[in-house]
Amino acid sequence: MTDTNLTLDAPVERSSLSEGFRGLRDALPVMLGFVPFALVLGSQAAQKGLSPIEVPLMTGLNFAGGSEFAAVELWTSPPHVLLIVGITLLVNSRHFLMGAALAPLMRHLPKRKAFSALFFMCDESWAIGLADGRKTGSRLSLGYYMGAAISLYLTWVVFTGVGALAGPVLGDVRRFGFDMAFPAVFLVMLAGMWKGVSAARPWLVSLVVGAATYLLVPGAWYVPVGALSGVAAAYYWAKPS
Amino acid sequence: MIDPMTILTIVLMASVTYMTRIGGYIFLRNRTLSPRARTVLESAPGCVLITVIAPNFVTGHPADIVALGVTVVAATRLSILPTVLVAIVSAGVLRSFLG
Repeated sequence: MTDTNLTLDAPVERSSLSEGFRGLRDALPVMLGFVPFALVLGSQAAQKGLSPIEVPLMTGLNFAGGSEFAAVELWTSPPHVLLIVGITLLVNSRHFLMGAALAPLMRHLPKRKAFSALFFMCDESWAIGLADGRKTGSRLSLGYYMGAAISLYLTWVVFTGVGALAGPVLGDVRRFGFDMAFPAVFLVMLAGMWKGVSAARPWLVSLVVGAATYLLVPGAWYVPVGALSGVAAAYYWAKPS
Repeated sequence: MIDPMTILTIVLMASVTYMTRIGGYIFLRNRTLSPRARTVLESAPGCVLITVIAPNFVTGHPADIVALGVTVVAATRLSILPTVLVAIVSAGVLRSFLG
Protein backbone atom coordinates (compact mmCIF):
# COMPACT_ATOMS: atom_id res chain seq x y z
CA MET A 1 0.00 0.00 0.00
CA THR A 2 2.63 2.49 1.11
CA ASP A 3 5.05 1.33 -1.56
CA THR A 4 2.65 1.86 -4.46
CA ASN A 5 1.80 5.29 -3.11
CA LEU A 6 5.46 6.23 -3.00
CA THR A 7 6.12 5.17 -6.57
CA LEU A 8 3.00 6.95 -7.78
CA ASP A 9 4.07 10.05 -5.88
CA ALA A 10 7.59 10.25 -7.21
CA PRO A 11 7.07 12.16 -10.49
CA VAL A 12 4.84 14.70 -8.73
CA GLU A 13 7.35 15.20 -5.92
CA ARG A 14 10.29 15.86 -8.22
CA SER A 15 8.64 18.79 -9.96
CA SER A 16 6.83 20.09 -6.87
CA LEU A 17 8.74 23.39 -6.73
CA SER A 18 7.84 24.45 -10.26
CA GLU A 19 4.33 23.12 -9.66
CA GLY A 20 4.18 25.29 -6.53
CA PHE A 21 5.10 28.40 -8.51
CA ARG A 22 2.51 27.53 -11.13
CA GLY A 23 -0.08 27.38 -8.33
CA LEU A 24 1.09 30.69 -6.89
CA ARG A 25 0.78 32.33 -10.32
CA ASP A 26 -2.77 31.08 -10.82
CA ALA A 27 -3.75 32.19 -7.31
CA LEU A 28 -2.45 35.77 -7.71
CA PRO A 29 -5.70 37.43 -8.86
CA VAL A 30 -7.60 35.71 -6.05
CA MET A 31 -4.96 36.86 -3.53
CA LEU A 32 -5.60 40.46 -4.61
CA GLY A 33 -9.32 39.85 -4.13
CA PHE A 34 -8.68 38.54 -0.60
CA VAL A 35 -6.99 41.74 0.60
CA PRO A 36 -10.05 44.02 0.99
CA PHE A 37 -12.09 41.19 2.58
CA ALA A 38 -9.26 40.52 5.03
CA LEU A 39 -8.79 44.19 5.95
CA VAL A 40 -12.53 44.63 6.59
CA LEU A 41 -12.69 41.47 8.70
CA GLY A 42 -9.59 42.39 10.73
CA SER A 43 -10.73 45.92 11.48
CA GLN A 44 -14.27 44.82 12.39
CA ALA A 45 -12.86 42.12 14.67
CA ALA A 46 -10.71 44.76 16.38
CA GLN A 47 -13.84 46.92 16.87
CA LYS A 48 -15.44 43.95 18.66
CA GLY A 49 -12.49 43.76 21.06
CA LEU A 50 -10.37 41.02 19.48
CA SER A 51 -6.66 41.76 19.81
CA PRO A 52 -4.13 41.91 16.92
CA ILE A 53 -2.87 38.51 18.17
CA GLU A 54 -6.28 36.88 18.46
CA VAL A 55 -7.39 37.93 14.97
CA PRO A 56 -4.61 36.18 12.99
CA LEU A 57 -4.94 33.27 15.43
CA MET A 58 -8.57 32.89 14.43
CA THR A 59 -8.00 33.36 10.70
CA GLY A 60 -4.90 31.13 10.77
CA LEU A 61 -6.44 28.20 12.67
CA ASN A 62 -9.92 28.41 11.18
CA PHE A 63 -9.13 29.82 7.70
CA ALA A 64 -12.74 29.99 6.50
CA GLY A 65 -13.76 33.57 5.74
CA GLY A 66 -17.54 33.23 5.72
CA SER A 67 -17.62 31.69 9.19
CA GLU A 68 -15.16 34.28 10.49
CA PHE A 69 -17.33 37.16 9.27
CA ALA A 70 -20.34 35.51 10.92
CA ALA A 71 -18.40 34.92 14.16
CA VAL A 72 -17.18 38.52 14.35
CA GLU A 73 -20.65 39.88 13.57
CA LEU A 74 -22.06 37.81 16.48
CA TRP A 75 -19.08 38.42 18.78
CA THR A 76 -19.82 39.67 22.29
CA SER A 77 -17.59 39.95 25.33
CA PRO A 78 -17.50 37.20 26.56
CA PRO A 79 -18.47 35.37 23.33
CA HIS A 80 -21.44 32.96 23.10
CA VAL A 81 -19.18 29.97 22.49
CA LEU A 82 -21.84 27.47 21.43
CA LEU A 83 -23.65 29.91 19.15
CA ILE A 84 -20.46 30.85 17.33
CA VAL A 85 -19.23 27.27 17.02
CA GLY A 86 -22.67 26.10 15.81
CA ILE A 87 -22.84 28.86 13.21
CA THR A 88 -19.28 28.05 12.11
CA LEU A 89 -20.38 24.45 11.51
CA LEU A 90 -23.43 25.57 9.51
CA VAL A 91 -21.53 28.05 7.35
CA ASN A 92 -18.75 25.56 6.66
CA SER A 93 -21.00 22.55 6.05
CA ARG A 94 -20.37 23.09 2.33
CA HIS A 95 -16.82 21.76 2.91
CA PHE A 96 -18.31 18.25 3.17
CA LEU A 97 -19.39 18.51 -0.46
CA MET A 98 -16.12 20.07 -1.55
CA GLY A 99 -14.02 17.39 0.15
CA ALA A 100 -16.18 14.70 -1.39
CA ALA A 101 -15.68 16.20 -4.85
CA LEU A 102 -11.92 16.42 -4.36
CA ALA A 103 -11.52 12.91 -2.91
CA PRO A 104 -11.45 10.99 -6.23
CA LEU A 105 -8.56 13.20 -7.37
CA MET A 106 -6.63 12.46 -4.16
CA ARG A 107 -6.52 8.67 -4.42
CA HIS A 108 -2.77 8.77 -5.20
CA LEU A 109 -1.98 10.70 -2.01
CA PRO A 110 -1.20 9.02 1.32
CA LYS A 111 -3.80 9.90 3.99
CA ARG A 112 -1.35 12.04 5.96
CA LYS A 113 -0.71 14.29 2.96
CA ALA A 114 -4.40 14.41 2.09
CA PHE A 115 -5.25 15.54 5.62
CA SER A 116 -2.70 18.36 5.57
CA ALA A 117 -3.78 19.43 2.08
CA LEU A 118 -7.41 19.57 3.25
CA PHE A 119 -6.52 21.93 6.10
CA PHE A 120 -5.83 24.58 3.43
CA MET A 121 -8.99 23.88 1.42
CA CYS A 122 -11.06 27.06 1.01
CA ASP A 123 -13.61 27.80 -1.74
CA GLU A 124 -10.93 29.31 -3.95
CA SER A 125 -8.05 26.84 -3.46
CA TRP A 126 -10.56 24.01 -3.93
CA ALA A 127 -11.82 25.49 -7.19
CA ILE A 128 -8.29 26.15 -8.49
CA GLY A 129 -6.99 22.69 -7.56
CA LEU A 130 -10.04 20.86 -8.85
CA ALA A 131 -10.08 22.67 -12.20
CA ASP A 132 -6.38 21.97 -12.74
CA GLY A 133 -6.66 18.34 -11.62
CA ARG A 134 -9.51 17.66 -14.01
CA LYS A 135 -7.65 19.34 -16.87
CA THR A 136 -4.37 17.44 -16.43
CA GLY A 137 -5.84 13.98 -15.91
CA SER A 138 -7.98 12.96 -12.99
CA ARG A 139 -5.49 13.61 -10.20
CA LEU A 140 -4.67 16.58 -8.06
CA SER A 141 -1.15 17.96 -8.41
CA LEU A 142 -0.23 18.36 -4.76
CA GLY A 143 2.57 20.85 -5.48
CA TYR A 144 0.33 23.02 -7.63
CA TYR A 145 -2.55 22.89 -5.14
CA MET A 146 -0.34 23.66 -2.14
CA GLY A 147 1.36 26.52 -4.02
CA ALA A 148 -2.03 28.13 -4.61
CA ALA A 149 -3.54 27.23 -1.22
CA ILE A 150 -0.61 28.42 0.93
CA SER A 151 -0.36 31.69 -1.01
CA LEU A 152 -4.04 32.31 -0.31
CA TYR A 153 -3.61 31.25 3.32
CA LEU A 154 -0.73 33.64 3.99
CA THR A 155 -2.56 36.52 2.26
CA TRP A 156 -5.59 35.92 4.45
CA VAL A 157 -3.74 35.63 7.76
CA VAL A 158 -1.37 38.55 7.14
CA PHE A 159 -4.01 41.01 5.93
CA THR A 160 -6.59 40.16 8.61
CA GLY A 161 -3.76 40.90 11.08
CA VAL A 162 -3.03 44.20 9.33
CA GLY A 163 -6.75 45.02 9.45
CA ALA A 164 -6.80 44.32 13.20
CA LEU A 165 -3.87 46.71 13.73
CA ALA A 166 -5.40 49.43 11.53
CA GLY A 167 -8.98 49.04 12.81
CA PRO A 168 -8.75 50.98 16.11
CA VAL A 169 -7.26 53.97 14.27
CA LEU A 170 -10.61 54.42 12.52
CA GLY A 171 -12.52 54.87 15.80
CA ASP A 172 -16.29 54.36 16.04
CA VAL A 173 -17.22 52.80 12.72
CA ARG A 174 -20.96 53.39 13.04
CA ARG A 175 -20.54 57.15 12.92
CA PHE A 176 -19.15 57.06 9.39
CA GLY A 177 -21.20 54.23 7.97
CA PHE A 178 -18.32 51.74 8.16
CA ASP A 179 -20.60 49.20 9.87
CA MET A 180 -22.47 48.87 6.56
CA ALA A 181 -19.33 47.14 5.22
CA PHE A 182 -20.51 43.95 6.91
CA PRO A 183 -23.87 43.45 5.23
CA ALA A 184 -22.13 44.57 2.03
CA VAL A 185 -19.57 41.75 2.30
CA PHE A 186 -22.30 39.24 3.10
CA LEU A 187 -24.42 40.38 0.16
CA VAL A 188 -21.46 40.06 -2.23
CA MET A 189 -20.83 36.52 -0.94
CA LEU A 190 -24.53 35.71 -1.46
CA ALA A 191 -24.42 37.14 -4.98
CA GLY A 192 -21.46 34.82 -5.64
CA MET A 193 -23.54 31.82 -4.51
CA TRP A 194 -26.57 32.85 -6.57
CA LYS A 195 -27.97 29.98 -8.65
CA GLY A 196 -31.37 31.39 -9.65
CA VAL A 197 -34.55 32.41 -7.88
CA SER A 198 -35.71 28.88 -7.17
CA ALA A 199 -32.46 27.92 -5.41
CA ALA A 200 -32.63 31.15 -3.39
CA ARG A 201 -36.10 30.56 -1.93
CA PRO A 202 -34.67 29.02 1.29
CA TRP A 203 -32.61 32.21 1.73
CA LEU A 204 -35.84 34.25 1.70
CA VAL A 205 -37.29 31.97 4.37
CA SER A 206 -34.16 32.50 6.47
CA LEU A 207 -34.35 36.25 6.01
CA VAL A 208 -38.02 36.54 6.99
CA VAL A 209 -37.90 34.08 9.90
CA GLY A 210 -34.55 35.48 11.09
CA ALA A 211 -35.81 39.08 11.02
CA ALA A 212 -39.09 38.17 12.78
CA THR A 213 -37.24 36.22 15.49
CA TYR A 214 -34.83 39.12 15.94
CA LEU A 215 -37.76 41.49 16.55
CA LEU A 216 -39.65 39.14 18.89
CA VAL A 217 -37.01 37.22 20.85
CA PRO A 218 -34.15 38.88 22.73
CA GLY A 219 -30.57 37.67 22.22
CA ALA A 220 -28.98 35.93 19.27
CA TRP A 221 -31.65 33.22 18.87
CA TYR A 222 -32.59 34.66 15.51
CA VAL A 223 -29.42 33.10 14.04
CA PRO A 224 -30.03 29.38 14.66
CA VAL A 225 -33.81 29.81 14.19
CA GLY A 226 -33.49 31.69 10.88
CA ALA A 227 -30.68 29.52 9.50
CA LEU A 228 -32.36 26.21 10.36
CA SER A 229 -35.73 27.41 8.97
CA GLY A 230 -34.04 28.03 5.64
CA VAL A 231 -32.31 24.64 5.71
CA ALA A 232 -35.64 22.95 6.56
CA ALA A 233 -37.30 24.79 3.64
CA ALA A 234 -34.49 23.67 1.32
CA TYR A 235 -35.05 20.08 2.45
CA TYR A 236 -38.81 20.39 1.90
CA TRP A 237 -38.48 21.94 -1.58
CA ALA A 238 -35.76 19.54 -2.73
CA LYS A 239 -38.20 16.62 -2.93
CA PRO A 240 -36.83 13.39 -4.30
CA SER A 241 -38.08 13.14 -7.86
CA MET B 1 -4.28 40.72 24.70
CA ILE B 2 -5.31 37.04 24.85
CA ASP B 3 -8.59 36.17 26.54
CA PRO B 4 -9.17 32.51 27.57
CA MET B 5 -12.81 32.48 26.39
CA THR B 6 -11.73 33.94 23.07
CA ILE B 7 -9.04 31.28 22.65
CA LEU B 8 -11.51 28.53 23.56
CA THR B 9 -13.99 29.84 20.98
CA ILE B 10 -11.30 30.09 18.31
CA VAL B 11 -9.96 26.58 18.98
CA LEU B 12 -13.48 25.08 18.87
CA MET B 13 -14.30 27.00 15.68
CA ALA B 14 -11.10 25.74 14.09
CA SER B 15 -11.85 22.15 15.20
CA VAL B 16 -15.35 22.01 13.69
CA THR B 17 -14.08 23.71 10.53
CA TYR B 18 -11.32 21.13 10.12
CA MET B 19 -13.87 18.37 10.69
CA THR B 20 -15.98 19.73 7.80
CA ARG B 21 -12.85 19.77 5.62
CA ILE B 22 -11.82 16.16 6.23
CA GLY B 23 -15.39 14.86 6.77
CA GLY B 24 -16.34 14.90 3.10
CA TYR B 25 -13.08 13.19 2.15
CA ILE B 26 -13.44 10.48 4.80
CA PHE B 27 -17.16 9.70 4.64
CA LEU B 28 -18.25 10.65 1.13
CA ARG B 29 -15.17 9.36 -0.69
CA ASN B 30 -16.81 6.19 -1.93
CA ARG B 31 -20.42 7.27 -1.87
CA THR B 32 -22.84 9.24 -4.03
CA LEU B 33 -24.85 11.88 -2.21
CA SER B 34 -28.58 12.01 -2.96
CA PRO B 35 -29.60 15.07 -5.02
CA ARG B 36 -31.78 16.14 -2.10
CA ALA B 37 -28.89 16.09 0.39
CA ARG B 38 -26.73 17.91 -2.14
CA THR B 39 -29.32 20.68 -2.62
CA VAL B 40 -29.70 21.15 1.13
CA LEU B 41 -25.92 21.31 1.70
CA GLU B 42 -25.59 23.80 -1.15
CA SER B 43 -28.21 26.19 0.19
CA ALA B 44 -27.13 26.04 3.86
CA PRO B 45 -24.26 28.58 3.72
CA GLY B 46 -26.50 31.19 2.06
CA CYS B 47 -29.22 30.61 4.67
CA VAL B 48 -26.71 31.32 7.42
CA LEU B 49 -25.26 34.43 5.77
CA ILE B 50 -28.65 36.05 5.10
CA THR B 51 -29.84 35.23 8.63
CA VAL B 52 -26.83 36.87 10.24
CA ILE B 53 -27.57 40.17 8.46
CA ALA B 54 -31.39 39.87 8.79
CA PRO B 55 -31.51 42.47 11.64
CA ASN B 56 -30.14 45.07 9.21
CA PHE B 57 -33.35 44.74 7.19
CA VAL B 58 -35.60 45.64 10.14
CA THR B 59 -33.65 48.35 12.01
CA GLY B 60 -36.39 50.94 11.63
CA HIS B 61 -33.90 53.69 10.71
CA PRO B 62 -34.92 55.02 7.28
CA ALA B 63 -31.32 55.93 6.40
CA ASP B 64 -30.11 52.39 7.10
CA ILE B 65 -32.93 50.80 5.09
CA VAL B 66 -32.25 52.98 2.04
CA ALA B 67 -28.48 52.41 2.34
CA LEU B 68 -29.10 48.66 2.56
CA GLY B 69 -31.25 48.80 -0.59
CA VAL B 70 -28.47 50.65 -2.41
CA THR B 71 -26.00 48.03 -1.16
CA VAL B 72 -28.16 45.12 -2.38
CA VAL B 73 -28.22 46.63 -5.87
CA ALA B 74 -24.45 47.28 -5.74
CA ALA B 75 -23.71 43.72 -4.59
CA THR B 76 -25.48 42.24 -7.63
CA ARG B 77 -23.43 44.34 -10.04
CA LEU B 78 -20.04 45.14 -8.51
CA SER B 79 -17.16 43.25 -6.91
CA ILE B 80 -16.34 43.32 -3.23
CA LEU B 81 -14.34 46.53 -2.87
CA PRO B 82 -16.61 48.92 -4.82
CA THR B 83 -19.66 47.41 -3.11
CA VAL B 84 -18.18 48.01 0.34
CA LEU B 85 -17.32 51.60 -0.63
CA VAL B 86 -20.84 52.22 -1.97
CA ALA B 87 -22.28 50.78 1.26
CA ILE B 88 -20.11 52.88 3.56
CA VAL B 89 -20.56 56.13 1.65
CA SER B 90 -24.31 55.72 1.19
CA ALA B 91 -24.81 54.87 4.87
CA GLY B 92 -22.62 57.75 5.99
CA VAL B 93 -24.29 60.32 3.72
CA LEU B 94 -27.87 59.13 4.29
CA ARG B 95 -27.44 59.08 8.08
CA SER B 96 -26.22 62.66 8.10
CA PHE B 97 -29.34 63.73 6.13
CA LEU B 98 -32.06 61.40 7.43
CA GLY B 99 -30.71 60.77 10.94
